[in-house]
Amino acid sequence: MSAALVPAWKAVRRRPTLLAGLILLSLFVVIALLAPLIAPFDPILQNGDLRLQPPSWGHPFGTDNFGRDIFSRVIWGARVDLQIAVIGVLFPFLIGTTVGTIAGYLGGKVDIAFMRFIDIILAFPFLVLMLSIIAILGPGLKSFYIAMALVGWVSYARLIRAQMLVLKTVDYATAALSLGFSGPRIMFRHLLPNAIAGSVVFSMSDCVLVLLSGAAISYLGLGVQPPIAEWGVMVAEGQSFITTAWWITLFPGLSIVTLAFGFSLTGDGLGDLLGVRE
Amino acid sequence: MTAKWTKLTVATVLATLVFGASIAEAAGVLTIGRREDGTTFDPIKTAQNVDNWVFSNVFDVLVRVDKTGTKLIPGLAESWTVSDDGLTYTFKLRDAKFSNGDPVTAEDAAFSILRIRDNPGSLWADSYKIVDTATAADPKTLVIKLTGPSAPFLASLALPNVSVLPKKVVEDMGEDAFGEAPIGSGAFAVKEWRRGDRVILVKNPDYWDAANVSLDGVEWISIPDDNTRMLKVQAGEIDTAIFVPFSRIAELQKDPNLKIHLDTSTREDHLLINHEHGALAKKEVRQALDMAIDKKAIVDAVTFGLGEVAYSYIPKGALYHYADNLQRPYDPEKAKAMLADAGAADLKLNYVVNAGDEVDEQIAVLLQQQLAKAGVTVDLQKVDPSQSWDMLIAGDYDISVMYWTNDVLDPDQKTTFVLGHDSNMNYMTRYNNPTVKELVGAARVEMDPKKREQMYIDLQKMAKDDVNWIDLYYSPYRNVSRANIENFDQNPLGRFFLEDTKKN
Repeated sequence: MSAALVPAWKAVRRRPTLLAGLILLSLFVVIALLAPLIAPFDPILQNGDLRLQPPSWGHPFGTDNFGRDIFSRVIWGARVDLQIAVIGVLFPFLIGTTVGTIAGYLGGKVDIAFMRFIDIILAFPFLVLMLSIIAILGPGLKSFYIAMALVGWVSYARLIRAQMLVLKTVDYATAALSLGFSGPRIMFRHLLPNAIAGSVVFSMSDCVLVLLSGAAISYLGLGVQPPIAEWGVMVAEGQSFITTAWWITLFPGLSIVTLAFGFSLTGDGLGDLLGVRE
Repeated sequence: MTAKWTKLTVATVLATLVFGASIAEAAGVLTIGRREDGTTFDPIKTAQNVDNWVFSNVFDVLVRVDKTGTKLIPGLAESWTVSDDGLTYTFKLRDAKFSNGDPVTAEDAAFSILRIRDNPGSLWADSYKIVDTATAADPKTLVIKLTGPSAPFLASLALPNVSVLPKKVVEDMGEDAFGEAPIGSGAFAVKEWRRGDRVILVKNPDYWDAANVSLDGVEWISIPDDNTRMLKVQAGEIDTAIFVPFSRIAELQKDPNLKIHLDTSTREDHLLINHEHGALAKKEVRQALDMAIDKKAIVDAVTFGLGEVAYSYIPKGALYHYADNLQRPYDPEKAKAMLADAGAADLKLNYVVNAGDEVDEQIAVLLQQQLAKAGVTVDLQKVDPSQSWDMLIAGDYDISVMYWTNDVLDPDQKTTFVLGHDSNMNYMTRYNNPTVKELVGAARVEMDPKKREQMYIDLQKMAKDDVNWIDLYYSPYRNVSRANIENFDQNPLGRFFLEDTKKN
């Protein structure tokens, strides 16, 4: 462990929530990365002789109505769902942070324009807006990411803006200004690092929201398209067998919950660590 | 008796009265859960089962098909005679009334037949072009003259879409208003249609056989989700549900409170192919797709063995079904080679799937993998069922699974719809073979049953050769009812005999 990481490790160790969250997340990352090695079967391989088998040693999570191994599908699904959570948050985070910084620092008409635009977006129910954007772009993950980027950035923008409004009046900002530093330099090098902690913490809980939206969108048939293994899709496909073959829905459902829990714990712990109270 | 007991007795009596009254009120109303709501009550403007199955109980036809689906029996027409040349049909109408109290006259019957033939919005015009004139000789005598002999004509009068409508009411209300709040002469009358939710029918006291109708009313409730619909029957919230998923049959059969009805049907599921889209116009490509599809796997995985592999558009058990029709073997390798030869090696298909339809989605996943083995990339496009129908009509698809249940005894109707290239674009496929079309017309007017049968055998062979669509499987109607429901029957043509249904 390098010298720089030691204090970080100490800080993490003192916070069991954060530790637990990080362990859960790393577990899923490892599963996702090693999917081809861990998964005993091809996740999309159908086998007519093995339909609707309950969990057994050969198929620990059972098989679905096409004879596909649920265990392998859950493992491969981790790749897709982690990707959904990360990409689904990354773009809103970047866009929202930039817009919030500019609006908060410049103020005036720019600020008013951005804030009214945000109000308009917020006036629509989140999922309805997502669905309409995806309906226009066509089903698929790419559309989901675009819709997420178009809708999700507003929360980040508001968070950062509020921080910037406070920070731009503090002494070091005034000092930087009187030294003749450029606007972008003050905004992004001096103020943003001090404003961003809240957004980082929020992004963790946002991952949960994005993950669940992704699963919901796929469940509705607008996200990940069959036969690709994704937990939301798997829950949807198992729905018709829920009274006869519970294992098809249970395991992917549990995976969604566990991953969401991991993000949630990490977010909580980070908030504690960075001194941010939500 | 002490005061305490008196109070208790009074309370019990009151409770019994109140409770008993509510039961008595609900007792006669049969609730049927179905997947989707109807689209219209103007019979000539729809060809969908969700509409036709309700029409049969709201409207009445001149001639009906019996419970076995094999015989024509009197409906509004008590009796009929056919002239020796087969061109003039004379119907004697029974004393029947519409639900508004007006008598059913020969003029109404003539109006309805000419309307389905002439109305620009009619989806069934082609089936009735054979009618030359329809006139009322007197209020109870209808005379129909045909332009030529027609073997299927009498059977075609049993179609719910040519139901006898009250001429005056249709003209006074206007077609569109009538399509929302119709007046008919069936066993039940439409009380209210809550679009997207339910159709509420009440017993029609003016129905000619009202004395034998046991139910006070019927509610057709749309509950799109299969699980919810089954749960509601299991919980006793609704009396019956239609479209029981194949996957649930075995489990529901074990429930002593329920009865599973597997009624023989003329249902055939098939894969529609849009013949106007690129390589799909080539016969070899369509034949290759047929070979790339393992129908047995679909029967096993999707119908849980309750269905049967289909091999002709005329379903098993229906008139003139050809049992020796070609069944292309499942051979993805050969299919791949055939596609390459036809210049369609990297075929990409847009497959419209009904979202939320368990069977549709399962077939989609199976077909996607099967076709992938033949090198065909299938993009699944899940859409709402109401939207998918419009997309099929507009030709906005490459392939899509659809089904057909015969509405009349005679094979001519389905044949016309799927091969005759009429107003329906051959059931959305845009299939067009002039030779086949000609034979469809010839078979319609052939009065010799032996010769006619041969013509239909030829048609089944030609359709198979052209792959107008891909036959997938035949399956029974699957309905479930609470154990206290009696005579909840559906004939092979899909008609529910709700006038005979009892709720105990």
